[in-house]
Amino acid sequence: MKFRTVWERWQFNAENTPDKDAIIHWYAGEEPFRWSYKELLETANRFSVQLKKIGIQKNQVCAIIIRHNKFFYPLYMGIVGAGAIPAVLAYPNPRLHPDKFRDGIRGMSQRSGLDWIFTEKSLEPIIGPLLADSPTIHGLHFPLDWNISETDDAIQQELDSIRRERLPEDPFLLQHSSGTTGLQKPVLLSNRAVLEHVDNYGSSINFNASDKVASWLPLYHDMGLIAAYHLPLAFGMTSIQIDPFEWVLAPVLLLEAISKEKATLAWLPNFAYNMLADKVPDDELEGIDLQSWRLVINCSEPVRNESHVRFLERFSAYGFKESSLSACYAMAETTYGVTQTEPGKMPRTIQADRQKLSEGNVELIDDSSKARICVSSGKVIEGCQVKIVDENRHELVSGKVGEIAISSISMFDGYRNYPEKTAEVIEDGWYYSGDFGFIYEDECYVIGRKKDIIIMAGKNIYPEDIEDTVAKVSGVIPGRVVAFGHDDEKLGTEVVCVVAETNANTASEKEALRVAIMEAGLANDQSITRVYLVPTRWLIKSSAGKPSRKANKERILQSNEFLVEQV
Amino acid sequence: MISDKMKAAILKELKLKEFDIQDTTLANQVPGWDSLNHINVILAIEKEFAVKFKSIEVLKCKNLGDLQKLVDSKLPQ
Repeated sequence: MKFRTVWERWQFNAENTPDKDAIIHWYAGEEPFRWSYKELLETANRFSVQLKKIGIQKNQVCAIIIRHNKFFYPLYMGIVGAGAIPAVLAYPNPRLHPDKFRDGIRGMSQRSGLDWIFTEKSLEPIIGPLLADSPTIHGLHFPLDWNISETDDAIQQELDSIRRERLPEDPFLLQHSSGTTGLQKPVLLSNRAVLEHVDNYGSSINFNASDKVASWLPLYHDMGLIAAYHLPLAFGMTSIQIDPFEWVLAPVLLLEAISKEKATLAWLPNFAYNMLADKVPDDELEGIDLQSWRLVINCSEPVRNESHVRFLERFSAYGFKESSLSACYAMAETTYGVTQTEPGKMPRTIQADRQKLSEGNVELIDDSSKARICVSSGKVIEGCQVKIVDENRHELVSGKVGEIAISSISMFDGYRNYPEKTAEVIEDGWYYSGDFGFIYEDECYVIGRKKDIIIMAGKNIYPEDIEDTVAKVSGVIPGRVVAFGHDDEKLGTEVVCVVAETNANTASEKEALRVAIMEAGLANDQSITRVYLVPTRWLIKSSAGKPSRKANKERILQSNEFLVEQV
Repeated sequence: MISDKMKAAILKELKLKEFDIQDTTLANQVPGWDSLNHINVILAIEKEFAVKFKSIEVLKCKNLGDLQKLVDSKLPQ
């Protein structure tokens, strides 16, 4: 069946399977709340009515900043049903300084053109001051406090007409791709892009009527929003949604949800494999049954073979199957997925010569001490094309390493209000991702980033942001800082390292400075794991006169001489 | 009130020489106590006091004062 808009498709599901669970809202240690398709859409419609009552106009951008709450889902859908555009933003981490949080939203609103913010009353003191100086934000609303029981025939007629007139090309949602603080890139997606994408991506994983998705992923991230939320909703399937803040404290919640609800699918960033394999105590796994889990899809971070092996070793005793391991390559700019491994088959790995790989060539090698194990992210999905290009954007042959470029029928139309950035990354219909990788025997392998972005626990961190924070710490010589990411095999992700020049001499001065740097990071929601303090003029400069991240990373990692660590 | 023993276990695990920890301190206000490190800190406290927590019990703790009370509730009276 063909649908013109996502709302139409939701409506069809509500009429076709009214009593089926649409969303199971998970509560740690309590009974979950279950939204049936019928109740969910009816509640969404009531939110639409209320949104019209308060004056929300067609195509206005409605940001949602609400922590895990059962009314999040119908509110989001109600915004769509009112012809407006939902944009889910991250809930402020309590350690983040309110000024920093506001700076982020202010920067975002300039590009994204946020019109309204829907949030919780408790966040009013933090978000409220934005109204005074944001050129776009018209007001704050607290939808969790609304009484949405009243109906209104005139408004309902208006809504029916808005929904009838909505076109496939009309904007449907706004998601943000990563960027330095205040410069996150707004990606506007149409109904058509999302509808085509869920069909194409769904078919690549054999999404079917018996599937049930379990997720702890934040909904401001494309993997949480598109894969774990929109995909099941569009197909009329069930998703179980767990609070990300609770999951990091109790990773067993995901396994509990899968076991109790017999879930079949989950998407995870690589670090979560290690966290689940290493940090869930045996006694909490009593009674856990993972036999229903047909796919766990690794995405958003470089896929590490070691993490898959550990995960399989730990959970095979609980019914988890090797064939359930899976991987994909995805990004917000193409709605979500670009490549996907074949369901039912463990992702292919190849042992490539590390030295040759760094020179841009893929050559297999038997000697594991000289090899890097590369894990496939699978074949290109329907509706997408991938090519590997050199620095001049000329296509390279299979087996050569270069930048990954994508063309997709679910491609975004450019970053909203950001033409210069759009022009940088789109050329002749191809999106240049900034990711490095190669194609080998028709499968795509992603091995790094063109820029120095650090990917820690699935989150993209820009070294410039860390360097700005650290440079302001008293005792650090301004401008003499570099930040970089370093692989932590045990954690299955990168950690943030900082090298800073200082005049601090004694061990106690250095220890105090290390703590001050970590505290400054905390106030900016940046976890700095390793601090190296070096004397003045130690950092190597690049030809542009700035400290070089690459050269200084190589130099500092050769010894632990400057690592400050209280033992 | 946070006991010296618990404070020492936390500081040792996070490789901190000194940091002011009060009942109202949130875990993520302590340098190094992030989501990746959280479980290591909890394991260190369990080991120090020879107690065992359930993840859900730790999840319900709003601050380090609550965590101290949880530890105390597990100790023999």
